Amino acid sequence: MPRPSFWRTFWANAVFAPRTSLSFMRVDFILGQVFVLSFTQMLFFAYVAGLAGNPQTPVSFVVIGNAVATMTYATVFAVCGTTDSEKNGGTIEHLLVSPANRIALYLGRGVFPMLVAMATVSVAMLYAVEVFHAPFPSSAVLPAVVSLLLCVFAMVGFGLLLAGVALWLRTSNILANIFLFIGFVLAGANFPLSYLPGPLQVAGELLPLTWGIASLRAAISGAPLLSVAGLWGLTLLGGGVSYALALGLWGVFERQATRTGSIIRF
Amino acid sequence: MSAPTTTVLPGLIAPARPRASGPRVLAASFRLTVLMFSADPQWIISSLMAPVVFALAAFEMYRFSSPVLVLFSILGAGMMSMWAQTLYGSGWATGQDREFGTLEPTLGAPVSYVWVVGGRVVWNTISGLIGGAVVLAVVGGAYGAPLPIRDPLTFVALFLLVMAALSTVGLLFSAVFVYSRYAGFVQNIGEFAFYVVTGCMFPVALLPGWTLPVSLAFPPTWALDALRSATFPGYGGLPWGLTGDLLGTVGLSVLYLAVSVGLFRYVTRHLAEKGAAEEW
Repeated sequence: MPRPSFWRTFWANAVFAPRTSLSFMRVDFILGQVFVLSFTQMLFFAYVAGLAGNPQTPVSFVVIGNAVATMTYATVFAVCGTTDSEKNGGTIEHLLVSPANRIALYLGRGVFPMLVAMATVSVAMLYAVEVFHAPFPSSAVLPAVVSLLLCVFAMVGFGLLLAGVALWLRTSNILANIFLFIGFVLAGANFPLSYLPGPLQVAGELLPLTWGIASLRAAISGAPLLSVAGLWGLTLLGGGVSYALALGLWGVFERQATRTGSIIRF
Repeated sequence: MSAPTTTVLPGLIAPARPRASGPRVLAASFRLTVLMFSADPQWIISSLMAPVVFALAAFEMYRFSSPVLVLFSILGAGMMSMWAQTLYGSGWATGQDREFGTLEPTLGAPVSYVWVVGGRVVWNTISGLIGGAVVLAVVGGAYGAPLPIRDPLTFVALFLLVMAALSTVGLLFSAVFVYSRYAGFVQNIGEFAFYVVTGCMFPVALLPGWTLPVSLAFPPTWALDALRSATFPGYGGLPWGLTGDLLGTVGLSVLYLAVSVGLFRYVTRHLAEKGAAEEW
């Protein structure tokens, strides 16, 4: 059987995913997420930070952290949900036997969530600067954009990893929700990781979001490019490991499904 | 000339249907809601996990400030748990009925729809209370010191009042969501907005003045202020004091309840006339 080219698979998935496995990302939800949810989430934690009055977690610290964390809805939550879509739509069997390149396939379906996540976080950053008056020097624009792009890329990988785990579950909702909420505590969005007990700090350091937030904060605070680049590297590493694990999980699932001849039990 | 007669074939006209007992329907609806809750554990996320996470996040931010602020995080997260159960459970129940295709048969049943929703609300209130207790245990344990509650019995009593106030909001939302397919949208997108407007983690006095009328339109705002005024040491609260808060909570809750019951009656009659609920 001839194999479709890498780019053809990539492009077909990038174009069709919003109408198929990502069809639950409706326009109204996306707009609400980009313009309303990001703002209200930041507002909520900004008031909490304001009342706390902790000099280590000023409002600017919290709004920047939450601005980045808003990408979790489009990346982790939506991407993880593709597994359910495939199962519910009855298309997962076809996907498993298709000769399509898996990397192209998964990267392609991640394009739309990446775009939505970038839109969400861009609007959130605008709120952070214009509404909450978080300092943002013009010299930080370029490194901040790089930080956000890398973080979005890594987070989609993390979403794909969860989608891989969700293959063995009846519903991906629980898993996606767990990691959606965990980010509020473990990723350093609202307070420094050092506040957490040791094991939770380690768990937080395994999340790509943690390094994305750290690199953006470092870029905004004018940290030397070398130290920001180190954080970019850690973000990329988290994303790369996530993509590799996701592919591995899908491979295991494919082999198991082929061997048992049934995926309906998952 | 003899008067025209109408021949009615036996069985064509149904006899007047006996109406089911409201409390019995409420009990059945309660039982079914418990079973569905147990069968679909994803509700645990909204009612237990999310509030615990929010409480821990707020706790970490408040813990270096003052013990009273730790109380804010516990109470706020407890309210979030109840709110999640109220909105997700009660509000979404109508959407779920629509999805399962049970909305029309339920509305057409010989009992007011409000009893069916009432059973759901009762369970959601109980599970919200469980969520609140879990939050109290987790954050209280993490705090590791006695919480500075002025009068624990009053705290429990007013916590129940907050729940009752939230239930009336859930009841109203259930009725409104019959006419809308945007229940999921409102729940997901409006979640943080409700937390902000009702001041569940901070006093509403911190919000801009123009938002106060919006905040005061929700019974939980009044109930939360009453709870904090009565049990939080040094809490200022809204200018009318505890009595005003209690009167406001009861008055608004009764109003929400009355509007909900009226709306349910209207919804049932309207849909019976239209013959279909798919239109919305």
